[in-house]
Order: sequence, then structure tokens, then C-alpha cells
Amino acid sequence: MPLKEAMELAKKGHSYAKRTKYKEALAYYNKALTLDPRFPQALFLRASAYVESGMYKEALADCDKAISFDPNYSDAWSKKSVALFYLERYEDAIVASTRASTLNGNDVTAWYIKGVCLDEVGRSDEAQEAYGRSLELEIILDMHADARKIRAQR
Amino acid sequence: MRTEMPLSKPIRRFLTQTEELLDTEVSLLRQPEAEPGGTLVDKYTYDIESNVIIFPAQYVGLLKDFIIAKHCTHLLIKGAAAKKGEYKVCSYTGDTVYNGLRQIYIDALKDEAKKENKLPVQKLIKMLFILFSQFNDDLNELPWNAMVNADVYNKMPKIRKTQLYHIMKESKNDMDEMMEHETIVPRRYFVLDKAMFYARDMFLAKTLPADELMPVLNIPQMKKFNHLEVKEMLTTRWTHTAWYQSKVFGDNMLAIIDRPLGLVDWKAEPALDYYYDLYKVGVLLTDNLVSYMTMRNWFVWESPKHLLDAHEHKAEYEKEALKKIFGDLITDTLEGA
Repeated sequence: MPLKEAMELAKKGHSYAKRTKYKEALAYYNKALTLDPRFPQALFLRASAYVESGMYKEALADCDKAISFDPNYSDAWSKKSVALFYLERYEDAIVASTRASTLNGNDVTAWYIKGVCLDEVGRSDEAQEAYGRSLELEIILDMHADARKIRAQR
Repeated sequence: MRTEMPLSKPIRRFLTQTEELLDTEVSLLRQPEAEPGGTLVDKYTYDIESNVIIFPAQYVGLLKDFIIAKHCTHLLIKGAAAKKGEYKVCSYTGDTVYNGLRQIYIDALKDEAKKENKLPVQKLIKMLFILFSQFNDDLNELPWNAMVNADVYNKMPKIRKTQLYHIMKESKNDMDEMMEHETIVPRRYFVLDKAMFYARDMFLAKTLPADELMPVLNIPQMKKFNHLEVKEMLTTRWTHTAWYQSKVFGDNMLAIIDRPLGLVDWKAEPALDYYYDLYKVGVLLTDNLVSYMTMRNWFVWESPKHLLDAHEHKAEYEKEALKKIFGDLITDTLEGA
């Protein structure tokens, strides 16, 4: 269980990240992780901010640390696959995205990254399969979002 | 290219190709409240240095890839024409606004004469420019939309399923447009507006090919018009409904759309000349639709800047046109409104 204070700091950081203020977000995540270095969610959030800031190696290191504390942390696997994609380590990204989509079959990003990376290494048929799954999920999510919008308008 | 997101291989390639052909930069921007079909903000239309494709933040996979492909194609068409110094859009002036508003008013009067519940005068007057603008927007969008979709379909086979979803969603939204105003809008314009979208959807249904896009199959109000027998057409009261008339006009417009687009060699090398040819086809298509709807004196082909200026002056144009139509009587009504 992460420290309460560290959780509060991570939350604050996330509120900045949502407004694309990654520098401020990173400052809060750093504080949270100084208080509690074994806090997987904060590591994942910091990895996300690193990805958005183009710091892929740092993102990868945080994902690996988060996974070492919680090996079934699907979001961390998913983010790791994104970082690996940017680092052009496509084979490793395929492994990470496969793990992410096994842990959470509804992770659109994981399926999509898997498709992109399979395509990059020339495994086109498998890529189409992963793309297909990612599209299916994306459409379902989009339809739900539309339905929510309509309900809110009523 | 400035992008901070993973993209599939064909889309990355297409983005790079777009930038190289046009010698410009294309940025991608995620926004939570972006239009479902995305938005293109380009340097050929606005006074800006580079181009931005904006799309909904929640689209992380192929849904965003299609939006990028669609807007890149449109950008190439605009850019190819601009490089030849010929990029023009459907714009309007004070005089053409008067022509349009006057015609809509005459048609509205004919409709109102038959109605039991008459539209309040202020509402009717307000509606004139709204309708005029609607047609201006649609004419600047719809013919290009049909062409861009046909091109993406032919160039990017891997995202066809995504494309179908996007088009179906767009088609539904377009058909819903104006729906709540069915009883207010003069019949002729309701029918023409729906007919344009009907024709586009029919064209795409044939091109993709996808029966799901056929309005007579997916628009509830039109379902009953699929496979009508001649006898039925002559005897039922459907023939008098706006939706049936939309189908009839739409079928004619389909022929207008089909003719020039049917001649395009979609497999041709995607060089700048190819996109310039597409631009010329789009202009022809728009002209033909404008003629068919007898709106020739409503619009002028002008630079994008002209259209932006026209938008700036629209209130002025509207006011002047209304004064010309109604004389001094309008001053009180406008102030009352």
C-alpha cells in the first residue's frame, strides 16, 4: 500500500498531466517517488509523462521498475510497449504489448502497438489480426462515448 | 513531421509523402473535444506557417489513422491547387447573399401559404441566412468528402474497415442535421440538403462497396423506398413526402457526382499533378451540383481569404440583403429579433 502522502502527490501530478503540463506533473511524481520509491502507480504515471515529453528511455526504466513491483500491472506493460516502439525496439515491443493485451484484453493501445510493431517487422497477417482487435475495441468505446453524450444532452 | 504518437506504417509513410510533395510540415494534435471526424487547419486556407490535423484524444488506434489519411488527402488536393496558384473555394459577396436570401424567401412564402401553422415572421427572416450558410458550408465540404473518401479507399486498403465505421457515423450525423427543422425549413431546401447527402452516401456505398451505407437501408425514413414498384410509387402518399423527394433528387445528384468521379484513375501515381486533377474534378462536381440546385448566382469561386473575409462580414451582408428584400420595414423586425 503506497503512502497516503505519496498518493496525494501523484494525484496532483496527474491533474497537471491531464492538462498536458508534463513538467509540473513530473515534479509531483518525483516528489511522490522520493517519499515512496516502491509505488508502481506513480512509476507508471511518471512513465506516461516521460513518453509525452519524448523521454522514452526514462519511461522504459520506470515501466520496468513498476513491473518488478507488480508483474501483472497491465497498464505498465502497455506503456512499456509504447516506449519500446519509440525506441524502435519492435520485437521487444511485441512481447510487451502481447503481455499487456493478455492481462487486459480490452487495452486498445496494446493491440494497436502490437499491430504497428508486427507490421514493422514484416509480420503483416498477424498485424492485421491485432489491428482488427484494436479497431473492434475502439469502435465499442466510441459507441459508448456517443451514447453517454446523447444521454447527457437529454 | 511533428508527432508524439504511434502511427501505423502506411499512415506514417503517407504523412511523410504529403510533407515531401507539398514541402510543408504537418502536425498532429490530440484534443478531447475535437470533432469526431477531425479538423484540418491548413496554411492554404488560413494565414499560418504549417498545417495541423486535430482529432479526438480518445482515438488512439486506427480511428485516428483514418482521420489523418483523410485530412492528408484533402491537404494534398488543396496544396496541389495552391502551388498552381489556383486554389479557390465557394465564397459569397453582398450581392450573392441577396440573390440567395431572396430566392429562399420566395420559396418559403410558397410553403407558408400552404401551412396551417405559419412561421413567425422574425423566425422566417432569421432562417434565410442560416439556410444560405448551410448550403455554403455543405458545398465546400461534401463534394470533397466524397472524393477524398474514394481516394483513401483506393490508396489505403488496410484501413477500409475503419473508413466504413467513420463514414457510417458521419452519414448518420449528416442525415440528423436539419431534422428538427423539417417543419420550418422550406421543403425545397430540406429536400436538396438531404439529397446531397443521400447522393454522397450512395456514391460511397457503390465505391467502397458497402450496402450498409445505402440511405435506403440505413436511414429509417427512407427504408420504405427501397425496391418500390412503379404502381406503388404512383399510388401511395409517400411520393409527396420530403424523404421520398430527397431520394428522387438524390438519385439525380448521384449521377452528377458519379460522372466526373467515375473518370478518375484512382490507381494513378500519387504525384502533385494527380492531386491537382482531383482538385479540378472537385470544382467541376461542385459547379454541377450548384447548377442542379439552381444556386449559380448564390456563390462565387474565390480565394480562401475571400471566404474568411465574407464570414467576417456576414452580419453586414445579411442585413443589407434583408433591407433590399423587405425595405425599411425590416429595421424594426431586425431590432426586434
